[in-house]
Amino acid sequence: MSIATWFKGVRLPRGTAFGPPTPLSPPERLYLPLRQHRGAVCQAKVEPGQQVGMGQLLGSSDEFDSAAVLSPVSGTVESIRDWADPAGQPVPTIVIRNDGQDIWATPEGEIRPPLSDPDEVAKARPTRLLRRIREAGLVRAASHGLPLHVDLSPPMAPRSYLFMTGIPVVRPTDTLVIRALDHDPPVCPNQAALAGLNLTELDLGVTALKRISGAEKVILAVPAGQVATEVAALARLREWEVRTQSTTHFPYCTDNLLVTSLTGREVPTPYGEPRDVGVVVEPLVTALEVGRVLISAKPNLERIFAVAGDVAKPQAFTARLGTPIAEAIQAAGGGLGGSGKVIVGGPMMGFAHFDPLTPITKETDGVFVQAAEHLRRYADHPCIHCGRCVASCPVNLVPSELSKLCEFQRFEDAAEADLFHCIECGVCAYVCPARRPMVHYFRHGKSEVLARRMEE
Amino acid sequence: MSSPLLTVSTSPHWLGRTTIRSMHLEFMLALAPALITGFYYFGFPGLSVVLLAMAAALATEIITVRITSLPNRVADLHAVLLGLLLGLILPAGAPWWIPVVGGVLAIVLGKMVFGGLGNYPMNPVLVAWVALSLSWPEHMNAYFAPVVLGSGGEFAVTETPLMGLKNDIGTLEIYELWDLWVGNAPGAIGATGSLSLLVGGLYLMVRRLIPWRIPVGVILGCVVMSLVAAYTDSRLLEMGMEGLEANLKVAWFHLATGGLMMAAFFLAPEPVSSPVTPWGTFLFGLGVGVMTVIVRTWGDWVDGVFYGVLLMNTLTPILDRIRPKVLGKVVGGNV
Repeated sequence: MSIATWFKGVRLPRGTAFGPPTPLSPPERLYLPLRQHRGAVCQAKVEPGQQVGMGQLLGSSDEFDSAAVLSPVSGTVESIRDWADPAGQPVPTIVIRNDGQDIWATPEGEIRPPLSDPDEVAKARPTRLLRRIREAGLVRAASHGLPLHVDLSPPMAPRSYLFMTGIPVVRPTDTLVIRALDHDPPVCPNQAALAGLNLTELDLGVTALKRISGAEKVILAVPAGQVATEVAALARLREWEVRTQSTTHFPYCTDNLLVTSLTGREVPTPYGEPRDVGVVVEPLVTALEVGRVLISAKPNLERIFAVAGDVAKPQAFTARLGTPIAEAIQAAGGGLGGSGKVIVGGPMMGFAHFDPLTPITKETDGVFVQAAEHLRRYADHPCIHCGRCVASCPVNLVPSELSKLCEFQRFEDAAEADLFHCIECGVCAYVCPARRPMVHYFRHGKSEVLARRMEE
Repeated sequence: MSSPLLTVSTSPHWLGRTTIRSMHLEFMLALAPALITGFYYFGFPGLSVVLLAMAAALATEIITVRITSLPNRVADLHAVLLGLLLGLILPAGAPWWIPVVGGVLAIVLGKMVFGGLGNYPMNPVLVAWVALSLSWPEHMNAYFAPVVLGSGGEFAVTETPLMGLKNDIGTLEIYELWDLWVGNAPGAIGATGSLSLLVGGLYLMVRRLIPWRIPVGVILGCVVMSLVAAYTDSRLLEMGMEGLEANLKVAWFHLATGGLMMAAFFLAPEPVSSPVTPWGTFLFGLGVGVMTVIVRTWGDWVDGVFYGVLLMNTLTPILDRIRPKVLGKVVGGNV
């Protein structure tokens, strides 16, 4: 981390430290959206009234960018209807009534043997590993995450924004970053996962991800002072580099900025991703899921889900996919009375959801509950031009100017002033003394520009 | 399970503690040492000028929002802060109506005609100060010699160090540098106590309420330009002052006198009228520092620092166009 970045961003209050995740008993009714990632919607493969077993295929798609939806419990399909997913969009959703038996379905097709030898995984053909990941329906554990097999596959063609001198540049992947850090600090599923770690899962998962991505170097990004000696020993054995990072320095644990601070490479914005500079970043939760899938040769039906904020005991759960978020909040001792907020994600970048019955999906990793008395209000005040947002913007924008341009509907001018490079981290709104809804202006501006360009 | 009614809004859902009101309170807190120094050396005449300016600014703001349809934002204490700043750069010997007229001008002419906080192009305090100095130069130059509080001395109008410097370069030898820094010299009520202003200003810099590049730029510009001025001044040679050390003495003199520290930490980094970008703020500060010494050495006026700030304020929109390099932006890339 350079001196310049030290003064950028904000220091958030340190939340309660999470212990290892505790299991959350599967609820009576589970909701499984047929799209749980960025990409295509699956077709339902079951009908209402049908009996399903654990791991049975509920939905799949022929599209490449889709992940299979599998039943996390055994029970009856109650209905298939539109339901608000964690991003607030209506998605066809399979509702399953749990019979509490947890009987595995008889597997269809080829039966794959468990893989539990790291050396074997390190030599396995990447396509074989990818097929297992695809069959297990894994998705990168981050909001708007891609299906993991898509995330790990090399791009089809060089991306156009990498034309700098007219020559397409493709950088081969050489670094794999396992992110045991959480970008929105009080909601920390990855740190909870690090606290209750199964070393074999970690070893296998990271080895497989390294093999598939073709990376030569593995960087384990961990919070300072929280890495156990066994993990450090394993990292030494496997020659992984362990790097520490402050968890309260927001937003330096988000993927792109983490890549910059760990490797010094700048991820091209607005449409670039770490792969374009030869880095693959995967959350620790995902690496562990890969490990579990390989060891058990069974699909992954659970997710480490963190509940933080105004609940009696902020903690992480291992919850079945499809569990309503309200169940997890209640298990953590939080009430949903009053008119507080249920924020999918975290307090800085999360999405305030309108429906607590939205399910835990493969792309949600936590929820932040905010009681009504802790809500903060934005104000309709003109920009006072103090420059605090400029001093703290992690991507060196001039947020004050952008917000004014968007406020006065000069959207194209805002786009000229690099509006689309904004990562919507919310630091400018956090430091703004005038309490301007900065991120709201930027999102509005972006959507207006995109809508106008679509029309043309 | 029934669905409760939840609040939805855009992210972030946490906001920092700093508000406009708290920011202005911290500015006033940072000005407290200067006010105390002013009270110590200029007694009740000085204090009454400051209080009158504050009261006038506050009353004007209240009346203005009543008359016009502007939203009532008196509670953000901006008017009080403007009054305090104005009072601190007025001479203690000014008649009672000078701070009153100044307070009215700062609010009406400097701030409210443009639409209030956030919209004015120039520092309202300096707009009022310039209007007063051009209209009543005889009152605006009625600077008292400092009389330590409780010593029972009489206040007398006298010449400030900068006025002295203008006529006679030998003034450099008259004042002890330490007296100039602590404020034991004739001058404006709050602007003479350079050391107390420095303390308050450093507090604001540490709290990140003002961009640190502006004060650094002002001080750097002032030092560099006074060295240039000193090297090209033959009168110094006649006095036998030669070499860098002697010339630096001129720079320290310029730093400690007039309103330089006041301008560097409080008037130039005033949020609305100063730039925001890294290079913009630095060049802005540099310009203020350079302008100050140019006017003080070769200009007609006694002190150039306030004019320097006003001039650089007009350049703010241009300086704001010097944007930093956006992280991850590919030069020449097609987006």
